[in-house]
Amino acid sequence: MSIPGYSYEFNHTHLLSIEDLSRLDIGHILDLAEEFAEATRRGERPEPHLKNNTVINLFFENSTRTMSSFEIAAKRLGADVITMPVAQSSVKKGETLIDTAMTLNAMAPDAIVIRHSASGGVKLLSRKVDCAVINAGDGTHQHPTQGLLDTLTIRRAKGRIEGLKVTICGDIIHSRVARSTTMALHMLGAEVTLCGPATLMPSGTDTWGAARALSDFDAAIEGADVVMMLRLQLERMNGAYLPSQREYFRSFGLTAERLKRAAPDATVMHPGPMNRGVEIESAIADGDRSVITEQVEMGVAVREAVLKLLSGRRT
Amino acid sequence: MRLQIDNARLLCPANGWDEAGSLLIEDGKIAEIGKVTGKADETIDADGLCLSPGLIDLRVKTGEPGAEQKETLATASRAAVAGGVTSMVVMPDTNPVIDDVALVQFIANRGKETSKTRIYAAGALTKGLKGEAMAEMGLMSDSGAVFFTNGDLPISDASVLRRTMAYAASCGALVSSRADDHALAKRGVMNSGALAARIGLSGLPREAEWIGLARDLLLAEATKCTLLVDQVSTARSIEMIKAARARGVKVWASVAAHHLFFNELDVGDYLTYCKVNPPFRSEEDRQALIDALAHGEIDAVVSAHDPQPPEEKRLPFAEASFGAAGLETVLSALLVLVQDERLSMLDALMPLTASPANIIGVPQGQLKEGAPADLILFDPEKPWFCEREHLRSRSLNSPFDGRRMVGRVMRTIIGGETVFERGT
Repeated sequence: MSIPGYSYEFNHTHLLSIEDLSRLDIGHILDLAEEFAEATRRGERPEPHLKNNTVINLFFENSTRTMSSFEIAAKRLGADVITMPVAQSSVKKGETLIDTAMTLNAMAPDAIVIRHSASGGVKLLSRKVDCAVINAGDGTHQHPTQGLLDTLTIRRAKGRIEGLKVTICGDIIHSRVARSTTMALHMLGAEVTLCGPATLMPSGTDTWGAARALSDFDAAIEGADVVMMLRLQLERMNGAYLPSQREYFRSFGLTAERLKRAAPDATVMHPGPMNRGVEIESAIADGDRSVITEQVEMGVAVREAVLKLLSGRRT
Repeated sequence: MRLQIDNARLLCPANGWDEAGSLLIEDGKIAEIGKVTGKADETIDADGLCLSPGLIDLRVKTGEPGAEQKETLATASRAAVAGGVTSMVVMPDTNPVIDDVALVQFIANRGKETSKTRIYAAGALTKGLKGEAMAEMGLMSDSGAVFFTNGDLPISDASVLRRTMAYAASCGALVSSRADDHALAKRGVMNSGALAARIGLSGLPREAEWIGLARDLLLAEATKCTLLVDQVSTARSIEMIKAARARGVKVWASVAAHHLFFNELDVGDYLTYCKVNPPFRSEEDRQALIDALAHGEIDAVVSAHDPQPPEEKRLPFAEASFGAAGLETVLSALLVLVQDERLSMLDALMPLTASPANIIGVPQGQLKEGAPADLILFDPEKPWFCEREHLRSRSLNSPFDGRRMVGRVMRTIIGGETVFERGT
């Protein structure tokens, strides 16, 4: 992006939270990611921007798609990638997060991608290392690359973000995706409605930038340009937060019937993995409104862009 | 040995004194106040500093016995005297739990042998703090335990609490309880609200304090037990306590000094030094606590000193231990409010001296002829910068780290002996 009289530089060391980014930063990441996505579609390999770089993927929580997405992104850019699922690390032996950070830091990687079950855990670790740290999900706090890939997917589907009505439905209180995506979309001018059962709706979602917080899905979906369904952990449906799966589906499942209330060209999204028949009808998930597989595609592209922007930041 | 202090601003909340004068100490007791006629062996020129009774802190945790790496009575007392605390009540949540006579005596003896301050034990309400079988309150009282509490593990079974309170009332023992509903609060790590939701931390709802408090007050009323509500943290709790007092319930209330200084937003970016229980609440709650203090509705301000070493705090917020070191900052936290004209000097000192002395029934805490000469000389406006590296506690987990403070203790005297003197 180049505007006469302005110079822009992406001057972040880490990617920890959408809150740390400006509107310009997000636009810049999305533009770069889109270039990567288009190149991949044309069957081209990108320049090896991360040649001779070491990227450590450190996942304290199970993950298939995010972990492999980061691994593929880093490898496409030519990095040497080490993926460390928690079962193989010394964390199980009682080593603290900070000790793990200092140990890995001594091995001089160029970037560490971390997923941790504690909110703020990734930031804590970032303070103890000299390389770029990318948050791949920390507790119920943030998952910034997910927020960026959702935003990019919407921008590609709709051609804009500004003025769009986006409804995000599901387990909002435990969702780092809801936080990151809401903040990113709000910053770019979308009107976000959050929706979920009252037991899974936190207070103060206005501070995330959400315009509305509702527990009536039919009202929340009315006229929506984008409908994003969140994954519901099945263990939350054993009576503690919700009576049952079928009762959840009755009130909050995305059906063809419900989708009629949204805008005629409404786009359907889901960060995955899906519980078909719980959050979303299979026909909708696989239907022509769905961009769920494109979200996965954009995930790799966004991670390529973030890795490239943060490379060479080792201090 | 007769020690005379001249040219001081004498402050005694018990008598409402705030006037210039002198004071004479003889044989560890206060001998003369105001105008001194006797002859002294040594005279100190206070140069206009405030001279008040030493502070009495009703809630201190150390690691002795069982976790001496956190703090011992000796290291806590080093911090205490620098903060002006001359008497402290130590909590029973140690390992082993202070739940029988021998352990109460152990604390008293260790206090005498190793500590500069006067140490009083709070006994456990239930054996092992398990919340099941009541501890030997009568015998522990006889050995010097000043009140009984389940500390940071409030009794969750109302029938146990009811019987415990009824028994305590029958032997004239004071019960202290932190108001809490365990089921509502057990997973929480900071105040419930917008910030907790935004940064993805589970909340400690204020309802948990209210439900616990309502229960504790109702049971105190039913059993005619005297209750010390430990660390009130919300505006509504004050209203509930006032209503109970109006019904004739015998209830004291304490507030932790850090709750007068911080609100939930200070947790900010997962600052684990600000992880305490009860948690820092909203700004409205903090203001209500200050107002309650100004109106005399709070009987004791406590440090809630709870030392935690780095390995308990350098963790993700949810995994870090609760607790803040507070002995050295308790007076300054109140003097800030005096400087801001939210409290008069005497109103600030009352819940740190005469009022807690009255709650636990000790003779210190006032400037009175014949009372123990536990005194502090302090400069109420001296500015200082709180750096945790310079604190004297063995654990340095202070939320005040990096804060500008006012008011410093310059000299601390216990039983007529100077136990702390600050170089200028």
